Amino acid sequence: MPQRTVTIASRTGLHARPANLFVQAAAAQDVPVRIRAGERTAPADSILAVLALGAGHGAEVTLEADDGPGADAALDALAALLARDLDAEEPAGA
Amino acid sequence: MPDLLARSAVRLDAAAADRDDAVRQCGLALVSAGAAEPGYVEAMLDRERTVSTYVGEGVAIPHGTLAGKELVHHDALCVLRFPGGVDWNGERVALCVGIAARDDGHVRILSELAQILLDPGRARRLRETADADEVIRLLRPDGEENAQ
Repeated sequence: MPQRTVTIASRTGLHARPANLFVQAAAAQDVPVRIRAGERTAPADSILAVLALGAGHGAEVTLEADDGPGADAALDALAALLARDLDAEEPAGA
Repeated sequence: MPDLLARSAVRLDAAAADRDDAVRQCGLALVSAGAAEPGYVEAMLDRERTVSTYVGEGVAIPHGTLAGKELVHHDALCVLRFPGGVDWNGERVALCVGIAARDDGHVRILSELAQILLDPGRARRLRETADADEVIRLLRPDGEENAQ
């Protein structure tokens, strides 16, 4: 099963805004992706399930998808997103 | 340490003209509870305009921007129910859980809140109960009663 392990780069962790961007990106992928943090696994396109992971800054998470066309591309795209500090990309003044 | 959710910050019969009005009411409830400076209300509106805090199932969890964290005195929640519903970018919101959190508190608070909302039974009672004290019990994180 294709997997990517990535460290949460966003300063404040995978919470509201970074979590929203991540979930939107996950929903736009061609294949379902799961995200695992510790003992918990969540569908990557569910905001509540992703928030429930409680993945803070520096937490290591694993993304996984079933084998198939598009799986690697989806995991690469989502892993790259988590490796960015999404909080730093807030519009000025927000 | 003050309670995370004060009894005075629970309103089961709120009404709001629109999303911003609902967010503002949540912010004022947190300010009234002594959890944040008045400026936190604007930080919550900024957050909402940047990215919606709608999480599905008629629930939104308004909270401030990163910059707004400095205006928070202590971690706190508020619960406002809108029986008439509030239009939230095309979704209908009937329950708002407003959040004020300092430092890293928000990741833990959001995680605990999300786990509660993912439990269909608890989420339904949160939406339907007529008892404000039950709302407080429902939002108490698992195990907190045993924590010293």
